[in-house]
Amino acid sequence: MDTLSGVIYGFQVALEPMNLTYCFIGVFIGTLVGVLPGIGPAGSIALLLPTTFRLSPVSGIIMLAGIWYGVMFGGSRTSILVNIPGEPTSVVTCMDGYPMTLKGRAGPALGIAAFASFIAGTFSIIGLTLMGPLLAGMALKFGPPEFFSLMVVGITILSYLSSGSMVKALMMAAVGMILGGVGMDSISGDYRFTFKIHALFDGIGLIPVVMGLFGISEVLVNLETEIEGTIVTAKIKNILPTLKDWADTKWSIVRGTVLGFFLGIIPGGGAIVATFASYAIEKRVSKHPEEFGKGAIQGVAGPEAANNAAAGGAFIPLLTLGIPPNPVMAIFLGALMIHGLEPGPLLILEAPEVFWGTIVSMYIGNVMLLVLNLPLIGLWVKILRIPYFFLFPLIILFCLIGVYSVRNNAADIVIMFVFGVVGYLMRKFRYQAAPLILALVLGPMLEEAFRQSLITSRGSFAIFFTRPISVGFLFVAFILLIIPIITMRKKAPVDGES
Amino acid sequence: MGKADRISGFFWLIFALIIIIKSYRLGLGKVVEPGSGFLFFWAGIVLGIMSLVIIISTFDRKKAGEPDKPILGEISLGKIILVLAAVFLYALLIETLGFILVTVMLFVFILGVVEKKGWLFTVLSSFIVTSAAYLVFKTWLQTQLPAGILGFLKF
Repeated sequence: MDTLSGVIYGFQVALEPMNLTYCFIGVFIGTLVGVLPGIGPAGSIALLLPTTFRLSPVSGIIMLAGIWYGVMFGGSRTSILVNIPGEPTSVVTCMDGYPMTLKGRAGPALGIAAFASFIAGTFSIIGLTLMGPLLAGMALKFGPPEFFSLMVVGITILSYLSSGSMVKALMMAAVGMILGGVGMDSISGDYRFTFKIHALFDGIGLIPVVMGLFGISEVLVNLETEIEGTIVTAKIKNILPTLKDWADTKWSIVRGTVLGFFLGIIPGGGAIVATFASYAIEKRVSKHPEEFGKGAIQGVAGPEAANNAAAGGAFIPLLTLGIPPNPVMAIFLGALMIHGLEPGPLLILEAPEVFWGTIVSMYIGNVMLLVLNLPLIGLWVKILRIPYFFLFPLIILFCLIGVYSVRNNAADIVIMFVFGVVGYLMRKFRYQAAPLILALVLGPMLEEAFRQSLITSRGSFAIFFTRPISVGFLFVAFILLIIPIITMRKKAPVDGES
Repeated sequence: MGKADRISGFFWLIFALIIIIKSYRLGLGKVVEPGSGFLFFWAGIVLGIMSLVIIISTFDRKKAGEPDKPILGEISLGKIILVLAAVFLYALLIETLGFILVTVMLFVFILGVVEKKGWLFTVLSSFIVTSAAYLVFKTWLQTQLPAGILGFLKF
């Protein structure tokens, strides 16, 4: 099936009433989650995953995808209006979005954020449509050594780009890999690291770990301080950007889109890095850098374009290589597998309705988001009035139901509880959860690719260094590991946070 | 973060040692055919080395005169412990008491005991939330939720 036929087929699938409904539910929940602080896309997708079990795979995946890009779209609302980022990807938007509100320009800030998100989101889906099949074709030539090296570079990039210490990020990647090995070894049949605990015989599930690390620990951190319901007092008018606003931001949107898309594709890169990079570039190229931080509209348009473009780009490695580039895509990988699909280059051939239906649903979902976010902005800001003392038990309840319903096993709630405590302590001791999650998912795949490679080469490690693609990936990983060591020797302490 | 890093570094070092020993016992195999413990043995070694780097760096910073910051800061752990206890008890009781009873109890506990809201509000909210969750998850989405001791009631 060529790309054009694929897109036409995708429209047939995505426009089915059932799929349209679930696309709408997905983007609606995504916008809601984006507005509410306290629960992110990883937690909410994991939470709603069990609700898709009764749906067809394509409807389920369309809904979960809608949540992901809906969060990116909706996360800027609270950054602009009340200086509280709904999501980490919207932190940068606070810098100029909120000053615009203080100057009485909340409307144009919200408007340009929505349009930048829409434009970037749509272009990134076009990129996904064109590059997806190409990359899937290329990936068919990948063997176990290439996949092994790609996963190594993915984990290394994520550790390199982590906000805190790279040493700690690599430690968490190692812990994630070890946790991924818990349970029965599929090759030898041995039980590993189960400590004779029955609940661990089937391995540690991704969903309880994600819910614990992202859901429960977030609630615990928020319980330290009293979060009151926020009432938005800013007047919202003139949402449609003026011609001058468009002239000021058109190149910011283009730069943000390109940057976000490519950073989204790179395993380990992602939307948060893209927003910060976009902001830095906008400030550098601006003729009036002194206006940044005081309400420069480019400081809103660029990062918002970047995070939405990254959301689309992130699907490329997942759908074509079966490699999740970030923790949210790792949950997607789990979702695809639960629905009996094998993510990777064969997905486009074996489940074209899922591949093309999901991609095309994103075009439709983006239009829905524009409609949901512009005229209904008043509704969304009212949601901020829900007091946290009522919101957090709801989040906990959703986590409990979500975790229990995956395997109908109360032991999974205990695992979530343990990782909730671990996640809380990790935040206190400044360890990042993202490398752990990515390595937990990639660990078993990485081990299989590693063992298969060595069996193929009869025990020679040269197989990783003699195949050009594999050695290229390993070279990048090596460089990324070396850079911090060199810079650390020159000046910085290990913690890297200074 | 000196003291915090020292504590966490030692924790991960012990964890790494356990993994190294366990992996070795599982069998490292041969290079031609790596055993069950091979990759985890090396993951444990990497984790152990990194933990040592973290621990050693804290002594360097101590020498440089960096003050230790409190790990948890000035926060009250009471609420956090109560909420965690509620989650743990939920796991223990969900299959015996059933989803409906245990969820009402969870909300009554959090709203009434932890948040100290009025009892009328607490009880009403608990029943409304539990009913709504049951309707959405059990009736609409047909999620498997345990009936427990209320299993004789047919909803």
